[in-house]
Amino acid sequence: MDYARMKFYCDESRCIECDGCSIACAEAHELPVGISRRKVVTINEGIPGREMSTSIACMHCTDAPCEQVCPVDCFYIREDGIVLHDKDKCIGCGYCLYACPFGAPQFPRDGAFGAKGAMDKCTMCAGGPLETNSEKERHLYGQNRIAEGKVPVCAAMCSTKALLVGDSESVSNVYRARVMARGGKGSNSPYGWDKAYKNQ
Amino acid sequence: MRKYVTLFIALLSLASVAYAADSQIWGEMRIQNILGYGQEESWKLGPLFTMLQHKYFAWIFLGVLIGVPAAFFIHYKIIGPKVFPHSEKKYYAFNLYNRIIHQVAAVSFLVIIPTGFIIIFGDFFGGGTFVRMAKNLHGIFTIPFTIVVIPMALMWLKEALFNMDDIKWFMILGGYLSKEKKPILAGKFNAGQKMWYWVAILGGITMILSGAFMYFLDFKMEMLHNLTGMSQIDMLRAAAIIHNVMGFAVLALFITHVYMSMFAIKGAVHSIITGYVEEEEIKILHSTWYKKLKDQGKF
Repeated sequence: MDYARMKFYCDESRCIECDGCSIACAEAHELPVGISRRKVVTINEGIPGREMSTSIACMHCTDAPCEQVCPVDCFYIREDGIVLHDKDKCIGCGYCLYACPFGAPQFPRDGAFGAKGAMDKCTMCAGGPLETNSEKERHLYGQNRIAEGKVPVCAAMCSTKALLVGDSESVSNVYRARVMARGGKGSNSPYGWDKAYKNQ
Repeated sequence: MRKYVTLFIALLSLASVAYAADSQIWGEMRIQNILGYGQEESWKLGPLFTMLQHKYFAWIFLGVLIGVPAAFFIHYKIIGPKVFPHSEKKYYAFNLYNRIIHQVAAVSFLVIIPTGFIIIFGDFFGGGTFVRMAKNLHGIFTIPFTIVVIPMALMWLKEALFNMDDIKWFMILGGYLSKEKKPILAGKFNAGQKMWYWVAILGGITMILSGAFMYFLDFKMEMLHNLTGMSQIDMLRAAAIIHNVMGFAVLALFITHVYMSMFAIKGAVHSIITGYVEEEEIKILHSTWYKKLKDQGKF
């Protein structure tokens, strides 16, 4: 079976910086205080015509750099392109953060003397390597909505439908239709796609 | 005592809260970090670190770990160790203070280096608790080394300055390529030991700083940001690269240091345990020093 490639896309012309996605994510996965897997950022703030907001999380990159640098090899990439990691293997060294173009990996300081704990990042609501929908998986990685056939919670609740997630073809179709509807205006390629998906 | 420990832990946890509130990585700075990644005018440290860590670092470490001892094994088999009589006169060269400082550093290195390897080859060990413990020990044993590194630098600084003897020493590689026992020009420390001194001291301090950078991760040092013009995340990337590259040098010379003291010069290790160096050893391997000691009437 051929798997579709799952991608995130945030439409900068629709994002209204409501921060709903990051709060929905934190609530759905019961993230500890100080960890936000998704963050809304505003670029070129105050510059007329160039200001835009976008929602950033792990982009689940093609050739994920985090996976390349991990000394304990705790990352694995699903056939649908979702980049996940094993928190029981992770030693919290921080290398994935240095490699990441989006600053996605975060480290709760829960170890002794404030040592970095296991890394936490967006799972595209696909849980982790533990038994699907088990209590332990939910505790360590959050909900596994993908396994239940649901859309990741950030995109599901996005009020302006700026944030989309799905297989790359569907996302690209929506993106193209929107650019057409705007009369071709807007950026040439979705923000961050050049780094994450090498524009493929 | 309990009070101080509690206070220390409280301070540390407060400090980590302070980072979180004003994050240099996940806060406002994140925008600059994302925009700056791989940009033409930047140093491209993100892609550079990814490439080096992905393709080279572990292999180079493995190469040093196998290559350097292999070379010494061949040296041992072909040229063999230098053996000096241990029943002759001795000279008291290292006092108790020297030895304690050295031993603290030695124990630190004996933990830091193997745990470093466990981290580098963490995938081989399967990650998890064992490698995490190695990572924590790697950090904890940095503390004793940090305490002794400056005293060690000061106590041997004078003897570790390079001079004309060292050029001649390097030309014949300290006489280690011949079986002959000809007096070799060298002061209390020969050029090889001096090299190790500078790598251990300057390299050691570099390792401490770059390691501390990665340990504390998210903090603000305005001065450093202004000085380097780099963001926190780029400094972390630089720290990781420097930590690994400097690691090659420290590792290679550490193995050399161990080989020399334990194998190449039979029994030389006793001098740093008891403080006494054999007269013959000084006469041959440190002839300039021997002359000086003789003039002073020490022999």
